[in-house]
Amino acid sequence: MHAEPGTSRGAGDQDVIVAARNLSKTYRDFWGRSKKVALKPLDLEIRRGEIFGLLGPNGSGKTTTMKLLLGLIFPTSGEALVFGKDATDVSKNERIGYLPEETYLYKFLDAEETLDFYGRLFDMPPEERKRRADALITMVGLSRDKKRQLKEYSKGMTRRIGIAQALINDPELVLLDEPTSGLDPIGTREMKDLIIDLKKRGKTVIMSSHLLADVEDVCDRIAVLHQGELKELGRVEDLLRVTDVTQIRARGLPAAAVDELRAVLQRHGAADIEIGNPTTTLEELFLEVVRDTEARPGRRARQADRNG
Amino acid sequence: MVLEEEIPKFTAWIGPALVSWLFVAGLVAVFAAALAWLVQSALYGPLAAGDRVYRGILGTLADLAGMSPRRIWALARLAVQESLRRNVLVVLGLFAVIVLFAGWFLDPASVNPGKLYLGFILSATNLLVCLVVLVLSVFSLPADIKAKAIQTVTTKPVRTGEIVLGRMLGFALVGTVLLALMGAVGWAFVVRSVRHEHELLAADVLEMKAEDGSITGLEGRTNLARGHRHRVELGPDGTGRTDTVQGHRHAVRAVETVAGRAYEVGPPEGLLEARKPLRGTLRFLDRQGKPSTKGISVGAEWSYRQYIEGGSLAAAIWTFDGVTEREFPDGLPLEMIVRVFRTYKGEIEKGIAGSVRVRNPSTGLQSDPIYFTAKEFTIDSLLIPRQLAATTTDGGTRQVDLFGDIVTDGRVEVVLQCLEPAQYYGVAQADFYLRRGSGSFVANYAKSCLGIWFSMLIVTALGVMFSTFLAGPVALLAALSVVLVGQFREFIQRLFESQVTGDSKIVPGGGPIESLYRIVTQTSITLDLDPNPAVTAMKALDTVLLAPMRLGAAIFPSLSALGTSDFLAGGFDIPWDLLGAHAMETLGYLVAFFVVGAVCLKAREVAA
Ligand SMILES: Nc1ncnc2c1ncn2[C@@H]1O[C@H](COP(=O)(O)OP(=O)(O)O)[C@@H](O)[C@H]1O
Ligand SMILES: [Mg+2]
Repeated sequence: MHAEPGTSRGAGDQDVIVAARNLSKTYRDFWGRSKKVALKPLDLEIRRGEIFGLLGPNGSGKTTTMKLLLGLIFPTSGEALVFGKDATDVSKNERIGYLPEETYLYKFLDAEETLDFYGRLFDMPPEERKRRADALITMVGLSRDKKRQLKEYSKGMTRRIGIAQALINDPELVLLDEPTSGLDPIGTREMKDLIIDLKKRGKTVIMSSHLLADVEDVCDRIAVLHQGELKELGRVEDLLRVTDVTQIRARGLPAAAVDELRAVLQRHGAADIEIGNPTTTLEELFLEVVRDTEARPGRRARQADRNG
Repeated sequence: MVLEEEIPKFTAWIGPALVSWLFVAGLVAVFAAALAWLVQSALYGPLAAGDRVYRGILGTLADLAGMSPRRIWALARLAVQESLRRNVLVVLGLFAVIVLFAGWFLDPASVNPGKLYLGFILSATNLLVCLVVLVLSVFSLPADIKAKAIQTVTTKPVRTGEIVLGRMLGFALVGTVLLALMGAVGWAFVVRSVRHEHELLAADVLEMKAEDGSITGLEGRTNLARGHRHRVELGPDGTGRTDTVQGHRHAVRAVETVAGRAYEVGPPEGLLEARKPLRGTLRFLDRQGKPSTKGISVGAEWSYRQYIEGGSLAAAIWTFDGVTEREFPDGLPLEMIVRVFRTYKGEIEKGIAGSVRVRNPSTGLQSDPIYFTAKEFTIDSLLIPRQLAATTTDGGTRQVDLFGDIVTDGRVEVVLQCLEPAQYYGVAQADFYLRRGSGSFVANYAKSCLGIWFSMLIVTALGVMFSTFLAGPVALLAALSVVLVGQFREFIQRLFESQVTGDSKIVPGGGPIESLYRIVTQTSITLDLDPNPAVTAMKALDTVLLAPMRLGAAIFPSLSALGTSDFLAGGFDIPWDLLGAHAMETLGYLVAFFVVGAVCLKAREVAA
């Protein structure tokens, strides 16, 4: 949907920001015995400016892949390169932002202190820390709660401060592990808009999700993982395009024309013809309700059978 | 105060100390790299393992070079905030309770209350501060790893060294504040506890008259305060001093009032002091007057003190260097702690008579003896005056000048003899010195707190180091074991020596298993076990168990050796040479623990 052409084709080598070569991970216990093969050898290249999605069910190795790319865990074989350097090289972190799958922050700090703390870790001078913290708190909509300790935050608020800390250094590469988990539909929408906005500002985003809609809406390219194995890799629209099915959509078509259309299609030998009214997604319905309520507060809920 | 070894000059100490530090550190580093390679080899094969170890070392060096003060400070602040959140300040309340209890159960009538109070307060402070920082440091990093907050931190450009150093710094800061507060409270408590006043009523003072009826002096007794009273001997004009009880005395002054004569008793003197001694070296003459390196051992006593026999030619001779007229314009203020070993009881109250002479080390010219009586458990002081009598070869007497005739090139010998036959004086090199004056007691107290500070720093670093690769409770146990092995380091060294040489006289009773066997079977430790295969196996196992402890004893820090409360409580100024050495020793451990911690954390998958 939001794909922009050209990023993954004909790009020079310096545009490869993240590369995994034969990268695999086996978790071991204390004695070095292997416990779980979490990632089977993976080859991957992620280029500047794209939104890359890691898609897969729970336990398929998405987080493991991200942690390998961040140097949080060490590969069992192969290598992970970020900005051309080994993933365990700390200096790469200057240009990286990371949102863990659950927001792991210090609960006894408030939002401002949290951002100030992480700003210090980037060796930022005080004025810059203040400026960036203020801007990010406003951006994620926590201005009213910025003096509250994180332990009082709801899941969604925690997620917001999590994304703020990931962006404190204005990173070139952002890794988001299940960014929409725990968010309500509005939050989800905002998160997706934010991701798309990051892309517009030239950032590279790697995100993981098990929610297909999220990935479909924002990602340029995706890798589908299952049981630690790469199953699919490619552009979203290519992967989703069903080449042997044609879809026709029209507004204001009279009922008579529908029969006519069906006759035409049959004449051309088409099979499995479906013509009907499309349903909207629940997400869109929800957003519409919220928008409506905000425009006219106090209105009673609509009845589901309003159309009789 | 017991001082078993001479305190070396800092400038002379630092060179060899640095060399041995580098040697041990290098050895540990090589050993650790080899171990890491072996472990990695088992997992990835020797070549890949070599590559990993090599890259690990390079990475560590790069990390150390990339450390930033701002990041370290941010992490240190976080550690402080975490400590406050864990309510560390509660420990101050605990300390207050301990102090209150101390005021209640410490006996103010003890032989030396100043020593008792100081010793107690400093031990309590030391223990509490070290425990607090140990618990804080040991649980912090594992908690972060468990809560995964560490993942958000390590994905920032943070060097593992900064995580380790920041924590060490933060908890050390907490410990420092606690120590400062406890030190101040302890100080106030000690000063308040030893302060006391006596009254001397005119009615309790009797005049001493000579045969012709003239008043030669006044004699009396003060009232009871803090469990003791003093005898007073005054000049005819009513000024003088009390006797020394519980390590102190008071000045006394008569004041004439309308109601008659009254006496003012001054504050205690000598209780909280910081004496600066000039110490000498000790040698002996045996009972025939022949030089010998040792005195007599009087049996089961520990060899710190040697004994000289009374009424014989036996003597203890100290040689002092650097004695100048400028420093001692009034003569040599000699102070001595002489132990008395009695072969018959005699008059316990009276003390044992002895003499002191000063002698020119090159010409042998010596003064006539100056007599004194040695009282036990107190510091006897004796001023050797500038003008002395000396017996000439023809039997006459002549006046000699201390600095003109006796002291040559700042060197002088002082000869101590015991005069009563069949009684003995016990002497130690450190317990006989020239008093150089006093340092400030407050400063000395602060220096002693500095010693506690060193221990606290070491404990913090130790705790953080273990927490980089062990879970909290395990790290706590590990740190405690290191402290314990360090505490018994000399014993373990001797025990090991005894074990490998098979010489059961060094440490009787054997290693851990043999000791246990002896306890269970109720076998005396002095009895050698019959050699049979089981005993041999037991001893072999003991050796195997003792070997790592011996290794640990060689490199682990001894916190008690860093303590200087003996000096403070004993009333001696803590020498800067000693503090300097302790500071460097502490620094050596801090650097080592920091590097080990940083390497271990780097080698660890914090997110696994
Ligand atoms: N520290 C660990 N030790 C052992 N197994 C682990 C560890 N972390 C993850 N795993 C296992 O590895 C697999 C992949 O996990 P993960 O990468 O977290 O999946 P995802 O993020 O796709 O849900 C899972 O089966 C999980 O149980
Ligand atoms: Mg996951």
